[in-house]
Amino acid sequence: MTTRMFGEPIARREDPRLVSGDGRYLDDLGAEAVAAAFVRSPHAHARVVDIDVSGALDVDGLVAVYTYEDLTGRVAEPLPLLIPHPALHAPRTAYPLARDVVRHVGEPVAMVVATDRYLAEDAAERIVVSYETLPPVVGLAAARAADDVAAHLVQEVGDARAAIEAAPNRLHLELEIERSASMPMEGRGVYARWDDADRSLRVYTSTQTSTSVRFALAAKLDVPVDRVEVVTPDVGGGFGVKIVHPWPEEVLVPWAAMRLGRPVKWTEDRREHFVSSAHERGQLHTVEVGFDDEGRLLGLDVDFLHDNGAYTPYGIIVPVITATQLLGPYKPGAYRVEFRSLYTNTVQVTPYRGAGRPQGVFVMERTMDAIAAHLGLDRTVVRERNFIQPDEMPYDHGLIFQDGRPLEYDSGDYPALLEKLKKLVGWDEFAEYREQARAEGRRVGIGLACYVEGTGVGPYEGAHIRVETSGKVVVSTGLTTQGQGHETVFAQITASELGVPIEAVTVITGDTRRFEYAVGTFASRAAVMSGNAVALAARKVRAKALRIAGEALEVDASDLEVADGVVSVSGSPTAQIPLSTVAVLSNPLRYAFDAETQRATQFAVGGGMDRPPIDEDDEPGLEATDYYSPIRSTFAAGMHAAVVETDPETADIRILRYCVVHDCGRLINPRIVEGQIHGGVAQGVGGALYERIVYDENGQLLNASYMDFLMPYASEVPKIETDHLETPSPLNPLGIKGAGEAGVIPGAAVLASAIEDAEGIVIRKMPISPSELWSMRT
Amino acid sequence: MKVTGDATLNGPVDRVYAMLNDPAVLVKTIPGCERLEQIGTDAYRMVVTAGVAAIKGTYSGEVRLSEQDAPNAFVLKASGSGAPGTVEATARVTLAGGPDGTTMVSYDADAIVGGMIGGVGQRILATVAKKTAGEFFLAVNGELTGAVPSTVEGEPAVYTRPHVPTANAPDFARGVLFGAAAALLGAVVGAMVSRRRRGD
Repeated sequence: MTTRMFGEPIARREDPRLVSGDGRYLDDLGAEAVAAAFVRSPHAHARVVDIDVSGALDVDGLVAVYTYEDLTGRVAEPLPLLIPHPALHAPRTAYPLARDVVRHVGEPVAMVVATDRYLAEDAAERIVVSYETLPPVVGLAAARAADDVAAHLVQEVGDARAAIEAAPNRLHLELEIERSASMPMEGRGVYARWDDADRSLRVYTSTQTSTSVRFALAAKLDVPVDRVEVVTPDVGGGFGVKIVHPWPEEVLVPWAAMRLGRPVKWTEDRREHFVSSAHERGQLHTVEVGFDDEGRLLGLDVDFLHDNGAYTPYGIIVPVITATQLLGPYKPGAYRVEFRSLYTNTVQVTPYRGAGRPQGVFVMERTMDAIAAHLGLDRTVVRERNFIQPDEMPYDHGLIFQDGRPLEYDSGDYPALLEKLKKLVGWDEFAEYREQARAEGRRVGIGLACYVEGTGVGPYEGAHIRVETSGKVVVSTGLTTQGQGHETVFAQITASELGVPIEAVTVITGDTRRFEYAVGTFASRAAVMSGNAVALAARKVRAKALRIAGEALEVDASDLEVADGVVSVSGSPTAQIPLSTVAVLSNPLRYAFDAETQRATQFAVGGGMDRPPIDEDDEPGLEATDYYSPIRSTFAAGMHAAVVETDPETADIRILRYCVVHDCGRLINPRIVEGQIHGGVAQGVGGALYERIVYDENGQLLNASYMDFLMPYASEVPKIETDHLETPSPLNPLGIKGAGEAGVIPGAAVLASAIEDAEGIVIRKMPISPSELWSMRT
Repeated sequence: MKVTGDATLNGPVDRVYAMLNDPAVLVKTIPGCERLEQIGTDAYRMVVTAGVAAIKGTYSGEVRLSEQDAPNAFVLKASGSGAPGTVEATARVTLAGGPDGTTMVSYDADAIVGGMIGGVGQRILATVAKKTAGEFFLAVNGELTGAVPSTVEGEPAVYTRPHVPTANAPDFARGVLFGAAAALLGAVVGAMVSRRRRGD
């Protein structure tokens, strides 16, 4: 069947637009708007004593200058706490503009609006802010000493400490991951237009959640929700940082547009992104583990510190994910995890692709390697012995996951994944290769890391599908797109479910004018959530089409099938009716607008005179809306292996091979899944070997540019070899699991394992640079 | 950020010390120093223009001298801010007699650099600070050896830079120094070369 698209590795339909310069990003919009710029704190912690704006007033083209004192209504209140949690006992969110105290370098203090960005920045430079500096807290060591605790959470299953105490073998590990940041190619940006006559606001914003921005802005700005539209244009990467909302700028730009009665735009520059968006990853973990002589876990006790930066708008999602997802594919025996989320005078911490999992996987996989080393066992053997077995699914860990629901794995086959990985990388033959390399004076090592990733968190997503009288199919879903390929995969699902050519399908995302109820694109959830909603909506449309076609063809709907946009009677291909005609018939008309629609007007249609043109339980139009809301997350899994070579003299680290086996249930489009994995691996390599956010003790970010914040180029990203396993999820109609974050998650863990193997030096902290490795040798 | 360095000046310790504490000399020798205003005993307000090539910024700040142990040592605290960033520096300056009537000046400074320059230029600050400090001492040496006649007489409360570039600091826009240890502050400010206008 030509319309069978689900599972096909078709090329991404959005790419010709995106790679040929036809993408339409935030800064491509609003040429007529006045521009905003922000005066930001140069101090990590200070009291704002005075703001002298007089110098800015002479700048030609200045439109407005705002400080906290100017803010009105709820705009003057702190930004929302997006995800409250009972353990987050001391949450703190920022004011849109600093009120009294600044808590990190980059915090906005004043907003300037001028006729263009150059003038806005010129004016911003002339604003003199006097500060009384306060002592900053920077880094986890200082945070531990300062003890400014935002949240404290303990979860325990069984008596882990007693189990460890009684275990024949025990290990203690200190494991650290440094702070980093996701660095989307496009930074944040907001463009707002207020129509004073219509009393309505339209906001374009580079976000991962347009619907939530809409609700937040309606509340902040005291405008009825139905008068607010939020549109997300093409987005040049999100990676989690753009799920945070509303940003100070996201509130202030529309607020200023309303006050000024003019369109206002702000596009973040790179340095602003470094110092005023969000970071992640920085955590320090202490592990106590007890295990038997075969390497089976008996008890695991993890205590970690999470640096949440200056504010906690996104709650404690990151450490909660670390606490739960570090368990990976293993049965931990008794498990206890405790964390403290600590305030520091640095940029706030919110989820970055992987969201606490890279840290958790690093902790667990380093522990597995340590156990193997302690017992003299092969690293794969220790893992195998601790795997949850396929016949133990669904497996309930007895913990609460990030969605507030049980940490219960729905399906998975970890032994099969490990077998595939060993075969793909040639695990059992590596010893031979190592000897051969050694004979050549080369140092090589192999590592592996396993993970399980909860994907597709709720509460829900929805979709609306309409078949137009032209036969075109328009799919609208409320979540946003940052390059994942939604225009392709949602069209594939629609084409398959509805029986239409994919060329007929258009997909619209992130536009509240088209779909109002949605959650957002994060946590590897779009395919699972919106994908299933699209399927459900398509099934409803198909059922309606069959009913209408059955009436028109005078056959039972169950005898009909749809293919290539045509409804036909099974086994009788001449008795058929195109979906475009069904769409015409679905909407009884008084007024025709073309020759085709004349068929739906009142004197043209037949039918009984004892029924109204639209039945009581029916609606006009060949369209339907449906929602998918899962009972809990679905758990994807994967395993990575890497072969590295380290230079005996310079300690340069080269990745010779990088192998991925991956199970995200049924694949909608294998090519897109591979692309997601490739991008994720690139970020994982960056996080393991290059990228880190470096603050000095005064809270100054020392590498706030691409000159010093190293991101891998194509030359640093290895060729990625992949293999897939498909264990369908029993939780959703399509049997799929999320894949967006998978590639990045085990990066630090697998490369630490491989470097340790090459060097014989214990690695407990990532990322690692050649200089650090070189120092560790001596 | 810690910066240390030293320079040899062609004059006796007493004279060097006096010059390094003489605003009339400093205003001429600090590259980019536009204005120096006495606001108290050993306290000055200053305006400095610094930058490289077309990229310039004007910074204003205060400098206070303390712990004077003439002619051997003094401590200078400086704070300044401008559009590209902020600087707070404390420098201990020591002078010691050298051979042939020379003086060895050493500085040991700790600076907190904030704002844009802190984020994008800190890696090169120490290097640039030492380089501009060298330029400053060269200019002071010019004053010492009489290569450049003093153009400021008496003890006015406000010192402004003569509108003639001195021979020893022909390109005073390339960096800023302030006093012997103000050399440090100036150097740091002068290092604010990495500031970018926007949209980087």
